[in-house]
Amino acid sequence: MVDELRVYQGASIAVYVVAISSIILLTGYSGQVSLGNGALMAVGAYAAAVAHISWHLPIVACFFVAVIAAALGGALLGAAAARLSGPYLAGTTLALAIGLPSLANQFSILGGEQGLLFDVGFPPLSLGEDFTQYKWFFWIAALATLIMMWLLQNILRSRYGRTWRAGRGNEVAAQLSGINTGRSKILAFTLSAGLAGLAGAMLSMTIGTVSPSAFPLALSFSLLTGAVLSGVTTLSGVMIGAVTLVAIPEVADVVAHKLGTSESVTTNLPGLMVSALLIVTVLFVPNGPVEQHRARTAKKMAAKNK
Amino acid sequence: MIQLLNTLLIGITSGGIYALMAISMVLVWRSTRVINFAQAGMALLSTYFGYEAMVNFDSFWIALPVAMAGGALFAAIIEVVFMRLLVKHSSSGPIASVAPIIATLGLLGIIRAVVSMIWGGQDVRITGPLSNDGFSVGGETLVFSPLKLLILVSVIVLMLMLSILFQKTNIGLALRASAYAPEIARLSGVKVDLVRTMGWALAGAAGAVAGMFQTVNGNGTLSPDSIEFSLLLVSGFIAAVIGGLESLVGAVIGGLLLGILISFVLMYVSSALFFIAPFIILLAVLFIRPQGIIGAKAGRRA
Amino acid sequence: MKALHRRKLLTATAVLAVFGLAATAIPAQAAEVGVSSTEIKLGMTLPMTGTASLGYNKIPGAAKAYFDYLNANGGINGRKVTLVVKDDRYVPTEAVAKTNELILKDKVMALLAPLGTANNKAVASSVNPARRGVPVLFVNTGFSGFADTKKYPTTYTVLPSYIMEAKIMGDYIKENFAGKKIGLLYQDDDFGTDALAGFKTAGVNFAVKVPYASGSQNAAAAAGWITKFKAAEADVVILFGVSSATSAMLGVAAQLKYAPQWMLGSVGGDATTIKLTGVPAGVLYNAIGFSPVPATTDMKDEYVKFFSDIYAKAVPGSAFDLNVLLGMNTAFMTAQALKAAGQNPTRKSLMAAIDSKGATFANSALVPAAYSKTSHVGLTGYWVGKYSPTGDLAPVGGTYVTYTTDSGSGAVVKSTYKRPAMPAKGLPN
Repeated sequence: MVDELRVYQGASIAVYVVAISSIILLTGYSGQVSLGNGALMAVGAYAAAVAHISWHLPIVACFFVAVIAAALGGALLGAAAARLSGPYLAGTTLALAIGLPSLANQFSILGGEQGLLFDVGFPPLSLGEDFTQYKWFFWIAALATLIMMWLLQNILRSRYGRTWRAGRGNEVAAQLSGINTGRSKILAFTLSAGLAGLAGAMLSMTIGTVSPSAFPLALSFSLLTGAVLSGVTTLSGVMIGAVTLVAIPEVADVVAHKLGTSESVTTNLPGLMVSALLIVTVLFVPNGPVEQHRARTAKKMAAKNK
Repeated sequence: MIQLLNTLLIGITSGGIYALMAISMVLVWRSTRVINFAQAGMALLSTYFGYEAMVNFDSFWIALPVAMAGGALFAAIIEVVFMRLLVKHSSSGPIASVAPIIATLGLLGIIRAVVSMIWGGQDVRITGPLSNDGFSVGGETLVFSPLKLLILVSVIVLMLMLSILFQKTNIGLALRASAYAPEIARLSGVKVDLVRTMGWALAGAAGAVAGMFQTVNGNGTLSPDSIEFSLLLVSGFIAAVIGGLESLVGAVIGGLLLGILISFVLMYVSSALFFIAPFIILLAVLFIRPQGIIGAKAGRRA
Repeated sequence: MKALHRRKLLTATAVLAVFGLAATAIPAQAAEVGVSSTEIKLGMTLPMTGTASLGYNKIPGAAKAYFDYLNANGGINGRKVTLVVKDDRYVPTEAVAKTNELILKDKVMALLAPLGTANNKAVASSVNPARRGVPVLFVNTGFSGFADTKKYPTTYTVLPSYIMEAKIMGDYIKENFAGKKIGLLYQDDDFGTDALAGFKTAGVNFAVKVPYASGSQNAAAAAGWITKFKAAEADVVILFGVSSATSAMLGVAAQLKYAPQWMLGSVGGDATTIKLTGVPAGVLYNAIGFSPVPATTDMKDEYVKFFSDIYAKAVPGSAFDLNVLLGMNTAFMTAQALKAAGQNPTRKSLMAAIDSKGATFANSALVPAAYSKTSHVGLTGYWVGKYSPTGDLAPVGGTYVTYTTDSGSGAVVKSTYKRPAMPAKGLPN
C-alpha cells in the first residue's frame, strides 16, 4: 500500500509535470531558452495566495487567477524578449529568475521574505476520516494536471503548434511563408507562462506557503533538466522528467546514507545529480529518450523495408 | 554630500569587480563565440584554489597568482574536454542552438555543488593584502580604502594588458582570427584549437582575479551560497552585455556603470530592490541600445 | 504519430489514476510513533550549511553531546534518546520537505527545536504537526505568535519572545539613554515585525530604522546601512538581526571607524560567532547585550561548568558559546519532559508533562518559564550585560540583574527569581 510520503511525492510529480510542460512548450516547440519559468511560477503562486487571502476566492478560482496573472507576465516577458534570442534571452531570464521572487519584499501585501499562507484547507468530511490532507493535495493536483495536459496536447496539434515548430526550425523561412514569428513567440511565452503559473499555485498548495525562497534559481535549473530529460521536443516523455526530479533527492539520501558522508556532501548531492544529469543528457541524448527511441525505431523500420 | 560620494565609491569598487567578470566573459566570447554561464562558477573555484594557497603560504600575493593559474588551467581543461565534446555531439537537431547554453548552465551547477561538497561546511576566509579601513578626509571616513584602490588599479591594468595583447601581438591576431574566420586562420597555419583554449585560459585567469577581489572586498568570507557569488554570476553577464560583448574597454565601462547604477538605486530608492535592479538595468539596456555601449554590429542573434 | 501521442498520454493518465486509487486505500495510521522499547527518536531541522548557518550549526552537536551523556547514564527509563538532524538551509520549502521526511519516513516522536520563524510557519501550515498530534518542542525562534495555543496547539516556545526582548531593550533605553537618537537594524519579516511591535509598546521612537531583506546581508549592504545611520546621527544603534547581519555590520563599522553605542539583540549577539568572522574584539567592547542564560564564560555557574565539561569531551576543540549552551539547555529540558511523561511516554503524555510540570523543569536560565495548562510560553526575560574588552558578554559588575515581562502590554519588572539548584549529576530526577 502506498504511504503518505508517496502521496505527497505524487502531488509533487504532478506539479513538475505541469512545470516541465511549460518549458517543453517554450524550448522544444518554439526554440527559446528561458530560465524565467521559476519566476513565472512565483507570479502564479503569489497571485493565487493573494486571491485566496484578500478576496477569499475558492481554490479553483485561485488557480485560474494564477494562470491569468502568470500569462500576463509571460506576455510582457515575450514582448520584451521578442528582440532577444539565444544567450541574450537566457541571460535576461537568468537575471529575472534571481531578481523577481525577491520583489515580494517590496510590497507588504506580498508578505515579505516570510511569504503568504496558502492554505487550501482540509478535504470535505464526506470523503471520510482517513482522507488526509496530502491525499487531498494529490487529487487536486492530479486533476488540474490532467485537464491542463489534455488542453495542451490539443493546442500543440493545432495551427499554433505548427506555427511554433515552423518558427523554431528556421525563422527566416517561417517569416517568408507569412508567419508572424514575433506574435507567435509572444503567444508561446504567454501560454508557457500560464502553465508555469498553474504549477506555481499547485506547488504553494503542497507547501502551504508562498515565499521568495520557494523559487530559487535552482528551481529553474531543475525544470530545464527535467525538460531535457523528458525530451524537449515532445510532450510524451514528460512523466520521465517529473518522476526523475522527485526521485533524485530520495536516491541522493540513500546514497549519502550508504556512504556515510558529511553534512555538506549530503545537502549538495541532489544538486550535483541534477546538474550532472543535465549535462549527460544534453551531450548524449539531446532530444530526450523518447525521441531517441523513436528515431531508432524509425531507422530499424527503414532498414527492414529495404 | 558625503553620502553621494560614498554611494559613488561603493559603486565604482563593486563595478570594478563586475568589470573583471565581464572581461572574462568577453574573452570567451571573442575566442569561441560562446557565452559561458559557468564563468562565475569557475571564478568561484579559482578563488578556493587561492584560499588553499593562503592557508599554506599565508600571503595574498602568492594566493592570487595561484588562483589565476588554477583558474586558467581549469578553464583550459573545460574547453578541451567539455566544449569540444559539446560541439561534436550537439551541432544538429532542434536543440543545437541552445545546447551550449544548457550545457554551461549544467556545468555551473556541477561546479557549485562540488565546491560546496569539498569546502562547504568550513569557515573559509581570505584576508586582503592591504587594509580595508576607509581613508579619512577632513574628519569624515570614506568608503574607499587602499584595498579598493588596488582593485580599481588592477582592473585598469588588466584591461590595458589584454587590449595590447589582442590588438598588438601575433597571439592576439591569432585569437581574433580563430574566432571570426577559423577556416582562413587554419589555412594560414594558426593552430585554431590551441588558440581557442588559450582564450578560455585567459578568461579563467581574469575570473579568478574577480573572485579573489570580490571576496576580500566583502568581509573576507568565501561561500558558494553567498550573495556575492550570485552577484558575480548575474552582473558579469549584464556588464558584458552593457559593454557590447565585443570589446574589453566596453566590458570595463559596462561593469563600472552597472556597479554605480545599482549602488545609487540601493541607497536612494530602496534596498529591497537589491536582487531585481540588475534585471531591470539589463532590460533597459537591451531596449535602448541593444548592441551595447561600444558594440558595433547587431551580434545578438548569434 | 498522433496515435503514439495519445497512447503516451493515456499511459500517463492511467499511471496517475492507479497511483491515486492506491493512495486512497490506505488504512489509518495508528499506534505511538518514535518510541520503542530501547529508543526515543526526536527530529530537528535547522540551517547546517549556507549563509544563515553561521553559529547555529553547532546546535545539533551540542544537543547530541548532552543526550549521549544522558544515554550513558541510563537514558530515560532505559531508553536511549536519539536525534535525527536535517539541514534546511534556512529555506522554508526545504524545512517543509525535511520535516515531512522526519515525520513520515524517520517517524520521530517529536520535533525538537526547529529553527527559524518563517520555517516554523511554513511547516505548521503544510506539514501541520498540530493535526497529526506531533509535539513541536522548544522552537528555536522568538516569534511571539508561536505561543498562540489555538493556532499552534502542539508547539512550545522556550526562548523569550522578540516582543519581550524589545520591551526590555526599550525600558533600558528609557532609563539610560533618554533624549538620545536611537537607530534600529532589523530583518524585513515576522522576526523584525515582532521586534517593532515590542518597541512600540515600550514607547521607543527611532530616529532611523533600516530594514534588510533576509539573504541580502553582506559587507557592501552594511556600508549602505552605516551611511544611513550616520546621516541620522544615531547615538545608539540596535542590531536586531541574525548573526551574519550583525557581523557584517560590525565588521564594516570597524573599517569605516563608525562607533556608536551598540546594542545587540540576542539572536545575533553571540560573541564567539561574531569574532569568528574577523570582527575585532575591540569593536564589541562596551556594547550592550542580552541573554536569558548565564554568560558562557562564567565558570562559577554550575550549569555552565557542567555543560562545558561535557561539550569539551564530546566535541573537543570546539568553542563553548551561546549556541552550544542554549542547545544543551534545551536538550536538558527535553530530557526532563520525557522523564515526566511516564514509564511509557506517548506524544500526549509528553505534552501533558510540559503543561503541568514545565515551569519547574530545572534548567540554566536565570529567568522563570511560564508553561501551564493554558500557556506554552517558555522563558520570560533577560539579564542585561556589556561585552568585555575581550568581546565576551558579562553582567555589569558581576551580578545578574534580570528583567521579565510578557508579550503583551504587561510592564517590565526586575525579577526576583531564584534559580533552583541543578539536579544531581545533571540528570533528570
